[in-house]
Amino acid sequence: MNPLITGDRIGVSRGDATILAAVDVAVRPGEVVAAVGPNGAGKTTLLRVLAGDLSPTSGTVRLAGSPLDEVSRRDRSRMRAVLPQHRPADIPFRVREVVMMGRHPHRRDPDNSAAADAAAVAAALAATDTTDLASRDYPSLSGGEQARVALARVLAQETPLVLLDEPTAGLDVGHEELVLGGLRRLSREGRGVFTVLHDLNAAARHADRIVLLERGAVAATGTPGEVLDAAVLSRVYAQPMEVIPHPFRHCPLVLTVER
Amino acid sequence: MPDAAPPGTRRTLQVFAVLTGALVGAVALALAMGAVTITPGEVVRVLSRHLGLPLGSEPPFRADAVLWNIRFPRIVLGLVVGSGLGITGAALQGVFRNPLADPHLLGIGPGASLGAVLAMVAFGNPTAVAIGGAVAGGVVAAVVLRRFSGDATPDPSRFVLSGVALGAVLTAFVGFAVFAADQTSVPPVEFWLLGSLTAATWRTTAVVTVLTAIGAGAMLATGRSLDLMALGEAEARHLGVNVDLTVTLVLVATGLVAGAGVGAVGVVGFVGLLAPHLLRRRLGSRHRPLLAASALCGAVLVVAADLVARTVAAPVEVPVGLVTAALGGPFFLWLLRRRLTGGSA
Repeated sequence: MNPLITGDRIGVSRGDATILAAVDVAVRPGEVVAAVGPNGAGKTTLLRVLAGDLSPTSGTVRLAGSPLDEVSRRDRSRMRAVLPQHRPADIPFRVREVVMMGRHPHRRDPDNSAAADAAAVAAALAATDTTDLASRDYPSLSGGEQARVALARVLAQETPLVLLDEPTAGLDVGHEELVLGGLRRLSREGRGVFTVLHDLNAAARHADRIVLLERGAVAATGTPGEVLDAAVLSRVYAQPMEVIPHPFRHCPLVLTVER
Repeated sequence: MPDAAPPGTRRTLQVFAVLTGALVGAVALALAMGAVTITPGEVVRVLSRHLGLPLGSEPPFRADAVLWNIRFPRIVLGLVVGSGLGITGAALQGVFRNPLADPHLLGIGPGASLGAVLAMVAFGNPTAVAIGGAVAGGVVAAVVLRRFSGDATPDPSRFVLSGVALGAVLTAFVGFAVFAADQTSVPPVEFWLLGSLTAATWRTTAVVTVLTAIGAGAMLATGRSLDLMALGEAEARHLGVNVDLTVTLVLVATGLVAGAGVGAVGVVGFVGLLAPHLLRRRLGSRHRPLLAASALCGAVLVVAADLVARTVAAPVEVPVGLVTAALGGPFFLWLLRRRLTGGSA
């Protein structure tokens, strides 16, 4: 299947500093791709390049086969939704209005309707357990609640591709499970998910493929079983690690070891 | 879940009804009160005559002259300038995602003043020159402000600090330019700092009305984009908003509207800050209704403030900007305090 998005030899430098170097990445329909790596490895920068927020110094991003600069703003907004990591906390609207903003790209679609908007918003609220918050003012929510609402807004956009920067940051365990399970469900619907994760075991359980970044370059890429190698992880994170088979799931389990 | 909807149409209509009532009341008082008291009957007779539908007997000459040539153009100019200040404040607060934005506080008014003074020094002082210079100065200051502050989403304080610094510098330049200029060729520095509607004529009023209408139309057109920009500039882009076009439109329109106002009546502060804040709680933050209501509210504030300015120390007039500052300053402080103590704005 043709990839929804590809980054081909992506490089980003700022002054003398190289932030990304020749990174290749592709997301196909129906798969969850997770970018992992230590702080400062370039995960967020890679996401911003894929989202079009940042022009790469070298390399090309293609969205559905076309170079990103040649895709109109409107077409982009109907092909991919983006959850950034840092969001304003003081959006002066109610939760339902914020989620409804995700429907903006479909406003002029001839086959869109008020009913379709309402259904998409309701589904997004339900998927993020925010239905009960719908009437609240967004600024009155806790950080974790705001994070779920922001994700709901992204889901309401109903795009074939979603790009997420740490969607579980600040969430309690229950909601973390809910959100990660939601990503799986999106992929089963045939959508493509690219997500930055810091939790290696979340990536091990929920990603189809992992891109492990190390100081701006790809240290390893492949299935969780291929990438999550104790020797490689210990080197990349500068922290001794063990990888064992998960006691009751078909995925690896990463453990840190005392130095 | 009916209460989940944004503040409803009914609430919006109520707000507009109250504002319209306040506007009619302020205008009626402003027509009747002043150095010469004019009875409501005379007001009706004078206005109906000039509008081509004469009611009652011919009004006394003095009432006609005072009302039609002095008081009425002044009130209309106050309405137009006030609505320009109100809508500009709301649009700037939206585009910079900052509730403390106000055209005059952030250097756009002082930029317009400087443009007007320089134009008058260079080309003499007909009103058209003052307004033209002020519009140019206002647009330049708005663009400079954007250059300095950039995308203010990550750090809104940077934007306010840039604006305040820019305003201080430009105000100082206005002072220098006024003192260096021939004292008869430009209005005194008080005019540029505190404003006055004294010199209102029908011609000035007409020019300012046209410019304000164009700018206000542009701002209303950006309403939906401004709503989405509340999510942050990057997020608005992801949703298909042309952020750069929106920002440029709002800034140029702000320069146009604030410039026209400054060229005609000088700097009248705090109205742009006040109007949107008085409305947001009742009306919500959707920009189309907020922009329109802010225009109405600004009009009420300026007409009322000018009425106070004309009558509080009669027969002496105090500058209208003194009145708006005396009202707006305490409100601003109250607002900051409420934000600090965690109330939602």
